[in-house]
Amino acid sequence: MTQSTRLALALPLVTLTVLTACDKNPVANDTPVDPTVPINMPTLGRGLEGSRFTAEIAVRNGFVYTTTWSQRFAQGNTVFTWEAGGVPFLADSTRIEDATTLGDVQISDDGNLLVVATERVPGRIVIFDRSRTDLLVELSQFHSPETDQGVHTAKLGRVGGRHYAFLSIDPGNNEPPRLVIVDITDPANPTQVFARAMGLPFMHDVFVRDGILFTAEWDDGLGIWDIGGGGKGGTVQDPVQISNIHTVNGNVHNVWWFHDPTTGEKRYAFVGEEGAGFAVGSSSSGDIHAVDISDIENPREVAYFHVPGAGTHNFTMDESSGILYAAYYNGGVRAIDVRGDLSVCPDGARAADGRCNMRLAGREAGKALTDGSPTVSIWGVALEGHRLFASDMLSGIWVFDISDLER
Amino acid sequence: MAAFTAFPAAAQTGPVHLRVGAHAIGMMSRIDPGIGDRIETEPYLTQSMLLGHVSLAGGTFELAATLDLEGLTLPDGELAPGNAGEGYVDKRHPHTYMHELMATVSPRLSAVDLTISAGRGFAPFGTDDPMVRPFVRYPANHHWSQILERWVLMAALRRGPLSIEAGLFNGNEPQGPDDVGGFDRFGDSWSARGTLRPAAGLELQGSYAYIESPEFRSGFGLDQRKWSASARLERALSPASTAYLFLEMAETHEYADGREAFIFTSVLGEAAWRPGPWTSALRFERTTRPEEERLLDPYRSPRPHSDETIIGATRWNTVTAQVARSFSMGGSSVAPFIEFSHNAIEEVTGAIFDPVAFYGSTSIWSVSLGIRIRAGMQHRRMGRYGAALPAAPHDDDDMHMTNRDQ
Repeated sequence: MTQSTRLALALPLVTLTVLTACDKNPVANDTPVDPTVPINMPTLGRGLEGSRFTAEIAVRNGFVYTTTWSQRFAQGNTVFTWEAGGVPFLADSTRIEDATTLGDVQISDDGNLLVVATERVPGRIVIFDRSRTDLLVELSQFHSPETDQGVHTAKLGRVGGRHYAFLSIDPGNNEPPRLVIVDITDPANPTQVFARAMGLPFMHDVFVRDGILFTAEWDDGLGIWDIGGGGKGGTVQDPVQISNIHTVNGNVHNVWWFHDPTTGEKRYAFVGEEGAGFAVGSSSSGDIHAVDISDIENPREVAYFHVPGAGTHNFTMDESSGILYAAYYNGGVRAIDVRGDLSVCPDGARAADGRCNMRLAGREAGKALTDGSPTVSIWGVALEGHRLFASDMLSGIWVFDISDLER
Repeated sequence: MAAFTAFPAAAQTGPVHLRVGAHAIGMMSRIDPGIGDRIETEPYLTQSMLLGHVSLAGGTFELAATLDLEGLTLPDGELAPGNAGEGYVDKRHPHTYMHELMATVSPRLSAVDLTISAGRGFAPFGTDDPMVRPFVRYPANHHWSQILERWVLMAALRRGPLSIEAGLFNGNEPQGPDDVGGFDRFGDSWSARGTLRPAAGLELQGSYAYIESPEFRSGFGLDQRKWSASARLERALSPASTAYLFLEMAETHEYADGREAFIFTSVLGEAAWRPGPWTSALRFERTTRPEEERLLDPYRSPRPHSDETIIGATRWNTVTAQVARSFSMGGSSVAPFIEFSHNAIEEVTGAIFDPVAFYGSTSIWSVSLGIRIRAGMQHRRMGRYGAALPAAPHDDDDMHMTNRDQ
């Protein structure tokens, strides 16, 4: 081999070695200021399902419903029904044709309906009668040109005595992301009542309560809309925006407006940030952001919950206890005490921008599946009674006892 | 060795020099296993192109055009385990009809060769397009090592053995064969490449690119920062035989709002020996790629994504070998070939994506049997323009060793 040939072969290697050596990430000091140790939530059982990636979870009357995502050993086109009175076991499965992913599942407040969102083209919702809990009976499907790119999430809510499904629609190559609202008061004959381009670049999720609509618009932040309860003249057919806030880092993924029954406060909306870098079971990022909406026209972020090496996904609340339960993908499940004034914290738990780091302030009340063994990727959580159900993309569902966190 | 240089394919009238050509490969490929432990066998007419080159005023102005017909001949892509890009997975996507339409102006300067190029084509980054390298099957690193089918404005400067290029372009990659890009995102991305040719036939290259949201047309997807380094050697071993060696390394870092999300890497080596009309070639590749959600057609992934997540990452260790024999017929040639590949797949993000469950094995064999047909002018290099091309006189015939009829 000539000298020039050796040089030719060595140069790329040396170049990339130098580049690789320069790629170092700083490690932050994140020791909690408050010495409160989160309790480990005892595991009551688990239900195994590994043929598909498990996605969202809903529970009612001892029956758990999980959807499926993407493609694993089989396509993510199936809704699983679990009997979960004791140790969960699979009771039934329902396949939805022409779907690649079922990203969301919701049960109506009266327990009679179960709604599943389907991706990608042709995006739609499938409405089931679940009056027989162990057997889903399809009532209808709803699809329109505005939902065609894929329904990423579907949330249910009642406004003015009517029942609605709020659909967050995927963007297409030449189609914007959208919010579509469908009247499902007659679930056999759903009717679209609203559609608008919304979100940048994704319209991801909503939360509906008391005639107020919260929209998770990714880098367009959190939108707050009057749809009948905000006093701005808004309706479901013609929402009126009250305010918008860009939470830190954007990527606004989901939201929960906390009503504290013990104090009557409706002060905080919790925003989930889904950071980039997610790979199933191995990495995730993104914080929970606490937004003070006591002045709903001027919301402000006052606190956040950050887990090193993991990011949040969907969450739910035990409002009576003031505990937020969050799925944290590879970081397991976290229980956060969100009662009280979240803007108050020790100096050591306050970030440079003034926000309180709730974990460092000792507000992490409980946890599960946090030690990395087994490898988990927790997508969502759902509560019923003293039990918390968590959907694990890799293995099915987990059940935890939350009695020690109730108050 | 049959040589295209004997075929004029040109109509030279005064200062105007027009050359045209055509290229296509007809072949049958068998993949074992494809997705779902099935053996896939498909016929293709691939890399089907019409080529044109106009030179005016003694080369002061040049126009290079490539009309790629894969949108018609390869609408569902070409089976290629390990390939991923533009919404195709384990298949190579068809290129756009307007593959290249680049104009180059060469101001006459005494000390240096300076060219300005503009049009639709390759950004100054990385290595030659696989179409002008010895193999038919594309490597898995195509989207890590080349940036193509963009609206580009670039300058190239050459002095002695060194050439430097820099260019602006639109970051968005095509969404289909008939996508001509659009100018609304022109200038949101840039790249630069340095090339050193210290000896005859030897070329060392290093380049960097920043690409804004290549996979999300509206510009809000993950951004990429890319590095490439390569060494390329071509030598005549005797009057009737040539040798070709090529080594490249590439990294693509994906960022969301400035924060690093994913890193993908590639190392690739190629060697070819051409005694007379025969060619034997060998390639090794070790490339990581994302595993993404797939659509009802398991060879497709959604574009754009619905969020910023992937399932995981896999590493593809691939060995490809080809033997071909060229027959010249006037200004055309046909070259029957047989090409074997073996892919060994590793999951690198914690055994989440299970190749055995998905493909039926971590080991995929493929064989392609076909005929490469060339007529008239062919590209000497694909991915470089003007002063970035080698200055050697023997390259002016618009042919290049790696692209000679095999």
